[in-house]
Amino acid sequence: MAYISNTEKQKKEMLAVLGLSTVDSLFASIPASIRLKKPLNIKGSLSEPELIRELEQIASKNNSIDKINSFLGAGCYEHFVPSAVRYITSRTEFYTAYTPYQPEASQGTLQAIYEYQTYICLLTGMDITCASLYDGASSCAEAVLMAHRVNGRNKIFIASNLHPEYKRVIYTYSCGFDLDIKEIPCNAEFLLNLDFISRNLDEHTSSILIQNPNFFGGLEEVEKITQIAHQKGALVINSVYPMSLGILKTPGEMDVDIVVGDGQSLGNGMNFGGPSFGFLACKKEFARKMPGRIVGRTVDKDNKEGFVLTLQAREQHIRREKATSNICSNQSLNALAACVYFASVGPIGFKKISQACCDNAHYLYEKLSSIKDLVFPLRGIFFNEFLIKLPMDAKELLAELEKHKIIGGLNVTKFFPEINHAILVSCTELKTQAQIEDYSDKMSKIFRKEKINTKI
Amino acid sequence: MDLSKFKFTKTHEWITLDSNNSAKIGITDHAQKELGDIVFIELPSVGTVVSQGKQFGTIESTKAASELYSPASGEVTEVNNLVSANPQLVNKNPYCEGWMIKIKIKNVKELDSLSSSEI
Amino acid sequence: MSNLIFEKGNFGREGVSVPAAAKPKKDIYSSIPDTFLAKKNYDFPYLSELDVIRHYVNLSRLNFSIDTNFYPLGSCTMKYNPKINEELSSMKGFVNLHPYQDQEDIQGALYIIHDLEKMLCEITGMNRFSFQPSAGAHGELTGMLMIRAYHCAKNNKKTKVIVPDSSHGTNPASAAMCGYEIVQIKSNENGLVDISELKKNIDKETAAVMLTNPNTLGLFEEEIKEIADISHAKGALLYYDGANLNALLGITNPALMGFDVMHINLHKTFATPHGGGGPGSGPVGVTKELIEFLPVPLVDKKDNQFYFNYDFPRSIGKVKAFYGNFLVLVKAYIYILSVGGLGLKEISENAVLNANYLKENLKKYFDLPYDKICMHETVFSAARQKQENDISALDIAKRLIDYGIHPPTVYFPLIVKEALMIEPTETESKETLDNFIEVMKKIYAESKTNPQLLKEAPHNTPVRRLNEVKAAMDLDLRWNPQKPFDNHR
Repeated sequence: MAYISNTEKQKKEMLAVLGLSTVDSLFASIPASIRLKKPLNIKGSLSEPELIRELEQIASKNNSIDKINSFLGAGCYEHFVPSAVRYITSRTEFYTAYTPYQPEASQGTLQAIYEYQTYICLLTGMDITCASLYDGASSCAEAVLMAHRVNGRNKIFIASNLHPEYKRVIYTYSCGFDLDIKEIPCNAEFLLNLDFISRNLDEHTSSILIQNPNFFGGLEEVEKITQIAHQKGALVINSVYPMSLGILKTPGEMDVDIVVGDGQSLGNGMNFGGPSFGFLACKKEFARKMPGRIVGRTVDKDNKEGFVLTLQAREQHIRREKATSNICSNQSLNALAACVYFASVGPIGFKKISQACCDNAHYLYEKLSSIKDLVFPLRGIFFNEFLIKLPMDAKELLAELEKHKIIGGLNVTKFFPEINHAILVSCTELKTQAQIEDYSDKMSKIFRKEKINTKI
Repeated sequence: MDLSKFKFTKTHEWITLDSNNSAKIGITDHAQKELGDIVFIELPSVGTVVSQGKQFGTIESTKAASELYSPASGEVTEVNNLVSANPQLVNKNPYCEGWMIKIKIKNVKELDSLSSSEI
Repeated sequence: MSNLIFEKGNFGREGVSVPAAAKPKKDIYSSIPDTFLAKKNYDFPYLSELDVIRHYVNLSRLNFSIDTNFYPLGSCTMKYNPKINEELSSMKGFVNLHPYQDQEDIQGALYIIHDLEKMLCEITGMNRFSFQPSAGAHGELTGMLMIRAYHCAKNNKKTKVIVPDSSHGTNPASAAMCGYEIVQIKSNENGLVDISELKKNIDKETAAVMLTNPNTLGLFEEEIKEIADISHAKGALLYYDGANLNALLGITNPALMGFDVMHINLHKTFATPHGGGGPGSGPVGVTKELIEFLPVPLVDKKDNQFYFNYDFPRSIGKVKAFYGNFLVLVKAYIYILSVGGLGLKEISENAVLNANYLKENLKKYFDLPYDKICMHETVFSAARQKQENDISALDIAKRLIDYGIHPPTVYFPLIVKEALMIEPTETESKETLDNFIEVMKKIYAESKTNPQLLKEAPHNTPVRRLNEVKAAMDLDLRWNPQKPFDNHR
């Protein structure tokens, strides 16, 4: 069905008002040469029972993570989503509403986004944030462009241990701008080379973009890097994993200028990579250079508290080609999910979850470090994700683990072809003791066998 | 308001000579009406060099944002901090209290290319 | 007095139960050095699940939405969002997928992406689609980046992009993000692209012409083939903003019109929910010549297996991590299956019929700048009301809210003074449209007999007209534990 309300009789009545006899006459202005000659070759229409059968069949061809013991992370994590979050985001008044251009008819969305903005500021320790961007990767790109708008400089330094897909998005976005982007190399522990940063940042540097924890799970010296950058007048952009901020110091405390990240871990499922949302928070002096929508609090004519989209004069519908960004629709419902998530778990709950992610990963690390063949470049200093160097091809190991219904982690060769004997392993609060021990047991078994066959 | 000593740009800024080489710059009544309630003005700092026809600042209302273009070249000698703190002064009195910057004019002849009446 | 969540709850109140660590470490300081660790707790409120539910459910009830109100927002295509799409897209087999799982484990997901691509190609006439962009504007940026890459590959010196003065702001904004200078051309007296203006302004440095058809006035660009020929003759590509695709399904398509690159708004034409401002999806489609520039990966099939194909050395790269807003794609896919090929044409026919019915009835009360058959939306002007009674489009919009109807889009397109852009969509019934006409008739009368009522509208809402000047001047963009709410001025 096409969800059309009007009956044939009603359609005839309406045509009569228009003085037309057929619906086709409405399209008379379309030249015959570009009219389609035959109907669209698309299957359907299917009724609900048929749709259910069809989609269930398609879904059954996916081996979803709830059926496997997965230790995959790398920018997308299996986290606890409280049922309260799903309930609120499925409230029809939230999800079938549009962007709140008429504030008096949209106080629900506007207040919820204001609360979301507050939570992100509290989480990151920053002054202000926008109403969401598309994802963590595009937020990084927008931050780089924003820093360029702020100081007009053209040199950008980005961490080589930034998520590779994020890097790629930054390069794609910066094509239309005169920017000189260089990558900061890493040391043997896959941490940024501070010496390189000191030697290369100068008065032409617009910004330095770092990720903490970095792609390999390690913890960067954000404070030191920020000090060096500020001495040269460059802005510091820190891409964060929000869950880590339950126990790690906030970027705001470390005088970072712009904080970005992906909100998937905050009340949003993995969703095969989308939708989630991106956030960008910054110091208050950059308010007018920030991309994205912003909700502000004000009063109505009776002095009652109310919320509106504000600073719209920066945006595309007013500034057009001079806008701070071209963004229109963002990821509002996913940001709402994050807001309800924070409200549901509370300060204690959030810290507990963050701690559980860290503890679980460290428990796994402890168990695995007894396997002599494995090398751990991060030496135990990580949040919930760490690199393991193997004596054999990662593909081999992961295939072995799969036989036991375990996804052992990410084969790092996917992004770093020069590193073909390593996996990236992550744990969240959802990993049980049994699951962690199953992984370490199977790994021990594999390496007991492997010792005989593999060259170390 | 006696505007006989005022000159105007096509982009709705005005300039008036204070003394020998000092001039005051602001925006016209037409401009402030078009903008509506002004909420933010970004002005250059003292010492900044401005050029005729080039941008010297931005002005923002709830429904629009515009560049401010300098009617003449010179160096900024004074900035009206009252207007930065209270942008609506520009709506209330664009030709008097709503002045934005004072500059030391580089070349008085530049004013000849401007209009004597509000555009 | 504030209603914020941060002023609610009570210290120590327990939130939802959260999982504990598998084997809690007594002291995390042994794993992570002190210098990295936070010293203080967050100022989050302590709320029970009931506190949270009550707060947000009550907030939701302050919203207008498609499921509660008629929502004729022009250019947004606020059609009904079918519930089966929500239900089926939330299956574990779709939600619990990690983007880096092995190919064999995600054949269902790849099947949907592949099949949806085929459907969109059939609908639009394009040769391939990428689903990476998260929204229409994101799609525009992607499309313009591809146009840039195309010209770079051919060593064409291209510096400008042409947009009509009626274009949506995202068009010039996206082109500017690619480094192009924007050349805006005036529309003719019929509200359409002025061919002579186009000829005057286009030259060999023009990279692209960005259009939407029907245009933002809801009018079909009848001379589109000539526009395409003029553009292509100068080596410029033609970009199609797909926001108005709801008028043309099964009738014509962008490829036939001569477009080279386009985006679709799945959250408009294909009924995926707007979510209060996203998530949407803006898939980008191209003709053969531009396939090599699409963002990677694309989904292809080999030996009966679907796989992610990254083998596009001249791709522009990526505009988002992973593959796009997958769950939104699933909803659009289910929608197309439920409607079918013939149903899609019915959709456009009824969208256009509904818009014309409104146009014919409302032109008695409000000025219609272009009095001819419109497509899926129509634009009125409140200029006469402004002149006669100082009633603006904004005042009319605010008064509509009192009658339980979400206002149409106002002040867009920029070329119509006091514009009111109305798009009913095909899912609305004649009864709803007749009611809207009656209400607009009432408001028209009120504008003459009681203009103050409109100027102070809305009257029946949770908040009255809000002070947007204060919002922009006293920037209050988040709750601050140290700063009490200043509700004066």
